[in-house]
Amino acid sequence: MQVKVLFFGVLTEITGNSVKYYSNVSSLGDLRISIQDDFPDIVHYNFIISLNQQIISEDSPLTDGDEVAYLPPFAGG
Amino acid sequence: MSEYLINGPVNPELITRIISISDEKNDAGAISVFIGRVRADRAGDNYVVAIEYSAYEEMINTVIVAINEAVITKFSDVKSVNIIHSTGIVRAGEISLFVSVTAGHRRHAIDACSLTVELIKEKLPVWKKEHYDNESQVWKQ
Repeated sequence: MQVKVLFFGVLTEITGNSVKYYSNVSSLGDLRISIQDDFPDIVHYNFIISLNQQIISEDSPLTDGDEVAYLPPFAGG
Repeated sequence: MSEYLINGPVNPELITRIISISDEKNDAGAISVFIGRVRADRAGDNYVVAIEYSAYEEMINTVIVAINEAVITKFSDVKSVNIIHSTGIVRAGEISLFVSVTAGHRRHAIDACSLTVELIKEKLPVWKKEHYDNESQVWKQ
């Protein structure tokens, strides 16, 4: 089971990645803990999360092939 | 790449092409346009020479369709909404955003264009990094 995690904006520098894959994470909460373990500085940054391109604010189970994105505040326009 | 994104600045020829399009009904009496350019903002002794835009491309289409639907629902006289946003490097003075709204009459065209720009700023998954004349770069939020 593997999920794809995308990082955008300043988070690409904090994590050193734009894409990273995580295995054996059954929920967004689990994923959050794994990401914080890998990149402790991420807790100092504001971001929202999307799951399969839908913004999500509550915890959710994850399935194989899901795409999660860590989205800093938008700055378009 | 999404049809709503362009790599580099939005070129004036594309803008001319978009606003010249008319359909068979010719029932749009008004076109309201917003053009966003990169501004040479100052930060202390330095100034912005370019902005580097990045986007969550797979999400752009969904968000822009939702913006268009919200605008057309609110302004019943609107016939079409066009949005083009840059990705990559856009230098100071160049165009990074183009919005055009056609409507039967000017009031809805102007108000819908304004709402479209505000929704883009609020909802479009785009990020920007300012490049300064001293070669430093800062993520802008």
